[in-house]
Amino acid sequence: MLHVFTLLLAALLTCPLVAEAQKPIKVGMPMPLSGPPALFGDPATKGAQMFVDEINAKGGVLGRKLELLTRDSKADANEAVRVARELILKENVDFLVGTLTSAEGPAVSVVAKENKIVFIAPIPKTDQLTAADKLHPYVFRVAATTTMEGRSAAEIVAKWPVTNVATMSFDYAYGQDVTRAFVDHLKKIKPSVQIVDQQWPKLGEQDYNPFINAQMAKKPEAIFSSIWGGFFVTYSKQAKALGMFDTIKYNFIGVGEAATPETTKSMGADYPVGIWGNSYDAFYWGETPAHRDYTTRLSKYLKDEYPSSWAIQGYIGMQFLAEAIKKAGSADSDKVAKALLGLTVETPVGPLTIREKDHQANRGQLYGKTVKDAKYPFAIMKPVTYVDPSRFMD
Amino acid sequence: MPDPSFVFAQSLSGLTAAMFLFLIASGLSLIFGVLRVLNFAHGTFYMLGAYVAYQAMLWLGPGPGMFWIAALGAALTIALLGGLVERLLFRHLYGKEELYQLLFTYALGLILSDVAKIFWGTQQKSVSRPPGLTGSFSFLGATIPQYNLFVILLGPAIALAFWFVLQRTRVGRFIRAAALDRETLGALGTNVDALYTGVFMLASFLGGLGGALVSPMRATVPGMDTEVIVEAFVVVVIGGLGSLWGTFLGALIYGQVLSFGILFFPRFSIFAVFALMAAVLIIRPWGLLGRPLR
Repeated sequence: MLHVFTLLLAALLTCPLVAEAQKPIKVGMPMPLSGPPALFGDPATKGAQMFVDEINAKGGVLGRKLELLTRDSKADANEAVRVARELILKENVDFLVGTLTSAEGPAVSVVAKENKIVFIAPIPKTDQLTAADKLHPYVFRVAATTTMEGRSAAEIVAKWPVTNVATMSFDYAYGQDVTRAFVDHLKKIKPSVQIVDQQWPKLGEQDYNPFINAQMAKKPEAIFSSIWGGFFVTYSKQAKALGMFDTIKYNFIGVGEAATPETTKSMGADYPVGIWGNSYDAFYWGETPAHRDYTTRLSKYLKDEYPSSWAIQGYIGMQFLAEAIKKAGSADSDKVAKALLGLTVETPVGPLTIREKDHQANRGQLYGKTVKDAKYPFAIMKPVTYVDPSRFMD
Repeated sequence: MPDPSFVFAQSLSGLTAAMFLFLIASGLSLIFGVLRVLNFAHGTFYMLGAYVAYQAMLWLGPGPGMFWIAALGAALTIALLGGLVERLLFRHLYGKEELYQLLFTYALGLILSDVAKIFWGTQQKSVSRPPGLTGSFSFLGATIPQYNLFVILLGPAIALAFWFVLQRTRVGRFIRAAALDRETLGALGTNVDALYTGVFMLASFLGGLGGALVSPMRATVPGMDTEVIVEAFVVVVIGGLGSLWGTFLGALIYGQVLSFGILFFPRFSIFAVFALMAAVLIIRPWGLLGRPLR
């Protein structure tokens, strides 16, 4: 306690009382930068940094520069809390934008509440983060939620000529929540569909063969999966070897970003082309001039011909923060929190609005059937559709 | 009553998993049996094996036979790395306290996995199955990928080769003698240091080979090392640390329990494995086929 007190005192003493206007606005970003989740955390911080560099080049916000301080949260709730506290107490950050997993998000939200600092979560999907009992004036989310993602997939599967579906998800918060949202919504919009099997491998499973065999023994006509990121690579390689995709005639939808360019690119010819998947972004989408422009800039910034689909989440998180500071005319968290309510921002994926009632943006995702395209050495979603979740967010 | 073709398919998938685990756990067990060090960095050698195989495939290109060259090259590279690590670092560990050894090997694993991240980044890497083993065939109503069958056959082949070297050759006699009494063997004029390096390189070779051969079936990502080391550890605890056939048996049990466990406890099959390990530790703390430590 004394330690915290001395830190606070030191922070107060070092805080310059003059030159407030020239001081940069500091934004703390706890994000996993090591271990498997760094796959998404790392590009997300780069997207945020690109936004910061661009806005600073134009003079910053309210005449002040933005300064981004990233810290490795190690995809661990305790570590995320520790670095968030360090950013607030030692670095005096004005705002927090960050966290990736559904464990980190709600944990950092508590820190934001204690310190009365605006916290924008760009990636965690758990409904818990903005649930009525957890909501407080300082937490906001620009990611999709498990409810929105599960329901989007259900809307697509409902159109397939299948009578039953099986599910494959990791046995932890995200897997359970998104699968429940999918199943409940599907039953509501197409009651005739049966759920014939549900498999729950542990998070990070390396051997899916027993789960696939057990599932195929129930003869499903379609499969919903929320096995994400690099784990999807492992799962789909093993499923392909077992002939699973052929058996279900590619009636397969993979949420958890199974169709990101990163994943299809890394798998090349091994990708089960023909399945459905989703992604937060895809450099080849280019639906609007704003998106095309964003992709060109990102490509240059990352020096990557096929830039990451995760950078956009860091970018949009920072975009909302900057717009809210402008609207509030101040970098005071209470004023910025008020400004964020109902705020609409023109993002690279189109206008997004943070709802007043649950501080949740209507962030949809791209969905599509994967196909081979002569233009790229890997599969892409085509046609790729942005599924706006506004209709089924409640 | 489950469908017999399903039971067959399930036992084969358990067998495939078991043979991979055997490849990795046998190296862990060998190092412990002879050098008396529990090498937590062994999982990282496995991961590096996968990364090096991926890198070699990038250089070699897809052609026929390239995968096998890449896999062998990866295993040899990791063996060399293991030799270096033993010469420069492990040498100072022998006879030290177990806690110290554990912390050291754990730290080494963390450092090496960070080095891997510098080279290969955090994006998942993927290697295709070698041409000729990409298909699958149906047997008794079950689909069996050819590559899985290859792995199932490779496991026992390696176990037998291992057994032959240990029991029937001069080198094997020295290795067994070193496991029993290092000082006496040294006093009799054997170069124990070189023997230790050799054993460590062999174990690293197996770890690297495991990683290279697993890469067509799994994504190569940071973190795969910590996952596999826990599994390999369970295998050697069940089978008996330092026992070759114990490790083989442990791997077989692990694979089958995991495969069939999901039928009985769909969400807790991993629990079945750990329960088994706990039971073994209570009833036979030295493992099913291990010898009690003196």
